[in-house]
Amino acid sequence: MEQNHINTLRLSNPKEISKLYYANRAVFLNFGKKYGLDYDDLTDIYQEAFIALRKHALSGKLNTVKSSLKTYLFGIGKFMIYDRLKEQRKTTSYEATLHVSDEVEPIVYEDNTQELTIEQQLLRTFFKKLGKKCQEMLTLFYSRGLSIDDIVEFSGYTSSSVVRSQKSRCLKTLKEMIKS
Amino acid sequence: MEHEELIEKYVQNKLSSKEELVFIQLLESDPAFKEKVTLHINLKKVIEYEDAVNFRNLIATIEEKVEKPIQKYSYTKWLVAASIALLLGLTYFFNMNQKADTDTLFAQNFEPYRNVIAPSIRSGSANHQDEKTLAFLAYDKGEYKTAIALFSKLYIKTKEPYYLFYKANALLKLERAKEAIPLLLEHLKTKDTLTQKTNWYLALAYIKLKERQKAKVILKKVIDNKSYKNKEAKELIDKFE
Repeated sequence: MEQNHINTLRLSNPKEISKLYYANRAVFLNFGKKYGLDYDDLTDIYQEAFIALRKHALSGKLNTVKSSLKTYLFGIGKFMIYDRLKEQRKTTSYEATLHVSDEVEPIVYEDNTQELTIEQQLLRTFFKKLGKKCQEMLTLFYSRGLSIDDIVEFSGYTSSSVVRSQKSRCLKTLKEMIKS
Repeated sequence: MEHEELIEKYVQNKLSSKEELVFIQLLESDPAFKEKVTLHINLKKVIEYEDAVNFRNLIATIEEKVEKPIQKYSYTKWLVAASIALLLGLTYFFNMNQKADTDTLFAQNFEPYRNVIAPSIRSGSANHQDEKTLAFLAYDKGEYKTAIALFSKLYIKTKEPYYLFYKANALLKLERAKEAIPLLLEHLKTKDTLTQKTNWYLALAYIKLKERQKAKVILKKVIDNKSYKNKEAKELIDKFE
């Protein structure tokens, strides 16, 4: 997949994300229309598919994907369309959709997000009390999977030693909150 | 290699197989190391969770900015909407100086969630008139008692969590909030596309029962998680103060 798109998803800069989101939105809604779902359903699905795509970017799954971002996104979207249709199948007639043909292969997506334990919920409140810079730094490292060098490359920090010391300062503050 | 570095690599799935061995040995032999690792694993989960919530909100904001296609409202619908707005406005005006009454708050804010499971409009063929269709058809038509009976039956049969959600909505509409609460709590334990909307209805149920404190706690959750109806939740909580 296009490396620049993967980076956009991992860094999640709102402006860039919004560009990427809009770039495929209209085409997707048009693509989904032929399955007989309405506007609200399709915008719902597009959002979910985009969120799923970003999850795959963070987990590193996209690095080995050969298709373009658009194809992959549509693949997840198609899987979700089928899922929604399946929920409705018993009540409505979808024979027509069986004749829909396009070249998009559905890509299976399962949401395996787990609820936080009580201990983790507490940790979350501490995390949210950290300064914005600390939250950002730790998010880049823990959630986005950026290495220290990546962080230097993509953020405003000047060197890896600055990043390291900033990161350990943030962790220290957090540990102090836990102890108190 | 330093312990910190090992943990750092572990967190990012970057341990080589040799390092992994060292890591496992340490984990088994050194309780302090294990404690540290647990903290980092928890931290990773928490930050991933937080990051996912924020990203979901970002996408929702981006989506909100899109101009929606114009819906065909008829003149009478506008008129009805306008008179309701006027009525609500007047109600608000008269209630302004007193602590908002919970029944009014409930009425102003509650609306049964739309049927996204089996939209009846598209049932092109009549062959599929099974219980699920009938249940949602009754729900759409506002025949809530019938819907409730069918949802209960279907839930027992299929264990699909969305029946809990819709049955609770129907109960709320019939002002049977007390019965709706256990269903909503049960639904919260599941994970489907509707779960993030459940807390909003749970809060409304508590409001209906005049349980202000409980309602407040749940509304705060809605606001903090920026989930479904969080703007409305904010307005609602202000009226409690």
